[in-house]
Amino acid sequence: MQYSQVDAEAKAVARKFDLVVIMSTFLALIAGFHVHQMLVAGDWSFWVDWKDRNWWPIVAPIMEITFPAAVQAVLWTRFRMPIGATFCCLGLLFGEWMNRYINFNGWTHYPLNFVFPETFIPAAVVLDIVLMLTGNWIVTALVGGELWGWLFYPTNWVMIAPYHLPVEYQGSLMSVADVINYMYVRTSTPEYLRIVETGTMRSFAGGVTGVAAFFSAFVSVCMYVPWWLMGAHFFGSTKFFKTYESASTEVKHA
Amino acid sequence: MAQTQTTATAVARPPLTAFSWKSAGIAIGALIVFDVLINVYERLYAFSKGLDYTSADYESYWMGMLFAELVLEAVTAGALWGWLWMTRDRALDRLSPAEELKRYWALGLFVLTYTYAAYAGASYFTEQDGTWHQTVIRDTDFTPSHVIEFYQSYPIYIIFGVGSLVYAMTRLPQFAKAFSLPYVVLVGSPAMIFPNVGLNEFGHTRWFMEELFVAPLHWGFVTFGWGALAILGTWLQICPRVLALVNHVYYGKPIQSPAEVMKDPQSSVNPAACAACAM
Ligand SMILES: [Zn+2]
Repeated sequence: MQYSQVDAEAKAVARKFDLVVIMSTFLALIAGFHVHQMLVAGDWSFWVDWKDRNWWPIVAPIMEITFPAAVQAVLWTRFRMPIGATFCCLGLLFGEWMNRYINFNGWTHYPLNFVFPETFIPAAVVLDIVLMLTGNWIVTALVGGELWGWLFYPTNWVMIAPYHLPVEYQGSLMSVADVINYMYVRTSTPEYLRIVETGTMRSFAGGVTGVAAFFSAFVSVCMYVPWWLMGAHFFGSTKFFKTYESASTEVKHA
Repeated sequence: MAQTQTTATAVARPPLTAFSWKSAGIAIGALIVFDVLINVYERLYAFSKGLDYTSADYESYWMGMLFAELVLEAVTAGALWGWLWMTRDRALDRLSPAEELKRYWALGLFVLTYTYAAYAGASYFTEQDGTWHQTVIRDTDFTPSHVIEFYQSYPIYIIFGVGSLVYAMTRLPQFAKAFSLPYVVLVGSPAMIFPNVGLNEFGHTRWFMEELFVAPLHWGFVTFGWGALAILGTWLQICPRVLALVNHVYYGKPIQSPAEVMKDPQSSVNPAACAACAM
């Protein structure tokens, strides 16, 4: 009776600490991952007319495999929890939606279907599953990284397909996304329309997206490795620097 | 692993009420209410009074707010950090296990509040700034969204982050004598986002490239934001000690003394230090 009560108290306290760890980690990851994402791939995330088939499938995946790799390094190695990538990407999606809904839509009045974010949840689930099945981070970099790059465009396609439909507008051919862009003037448009869809890529039998995804997958593999290592050895490090006392003792003995 | 035998019997258990969510609930609740009110203020006065830096309205609605918040933040930071330091525990080597466990709970709530404030600053108000620029550009470094984002939401999370670190260094044996690499990164790296505003604003003043949010000028924020990942290492340091304390306080298992932890904090994060930990 006495023991079971103590036991219950101990478990209750441990559960509370668990909750603090989980919630604070989730919030910290939203903060870090979202500020990273919005400043390295944000414009493609903000606007549906930026979600093209050439640069978006390259920039977004290679920039967003970073935090998932680092968090997997800790959650898998230390806790055998195969949810590191999904946990990160869920946080990112939450951070993005908060601002898209409250500010892009609620404050500056762009329609939500102009400013909804991309999703990495499907690719993240696959990345986590590869790590869980193989238990090997090099294989996850090679296979998971390739899949990460390849899966991004198809898993977002359902959301953006309607905006890529062709329409004739004032005598010229453009996409629905372009028409929305002309309706809602903002500061970030003109330069990008000149940048995108240039080069010789589009002449390769319409294979722009395939080649872009192939390239993206390659760089994702390369990005995964340093980010896993940083997660395992720097951000997940448990190092304490030497105390003043022990450092000065060492100097005296030297 | 040297383990001092503290008596396994008659260890005082803290009352369950010691592990209350109340202080974090009040702090985070207050921050959420405050953030909502700030959003209301922006909705009311950003477009109506915040587009012309030379106007009298701008002076009173936005510059006035800027100066007021900067003063308040400096005072709050000085008062909180100063108070935590002045009330530091000068007899940490005699800290009782129950008290140490209670302090870890307080630290956990402190860190939780910091991470909420960091979310509000680095995620919410930073993307909100993107919303603002991509709608109106700006005519000053102190444009309304910056008065909120840079000079309000960033200092707020810095106050809580540094505060939590000072709390740990003044009240917990693990952090009393040696700097923790991940904890310093967790607090210091996002804190550097604020000084980086200097680079950012100089760059925008010089080149005015507001139309592209992914401009390389912004990547300083990105690099410092990575520091948030160090929450992983911070918890990896704290959890073994908390588990050892739980096991000691509730099950009477042996534990390293506070003096030993202060002398060699690295030994307290070794899972072997609580070999009999399994609960
Ligand atoms: Zn800005």
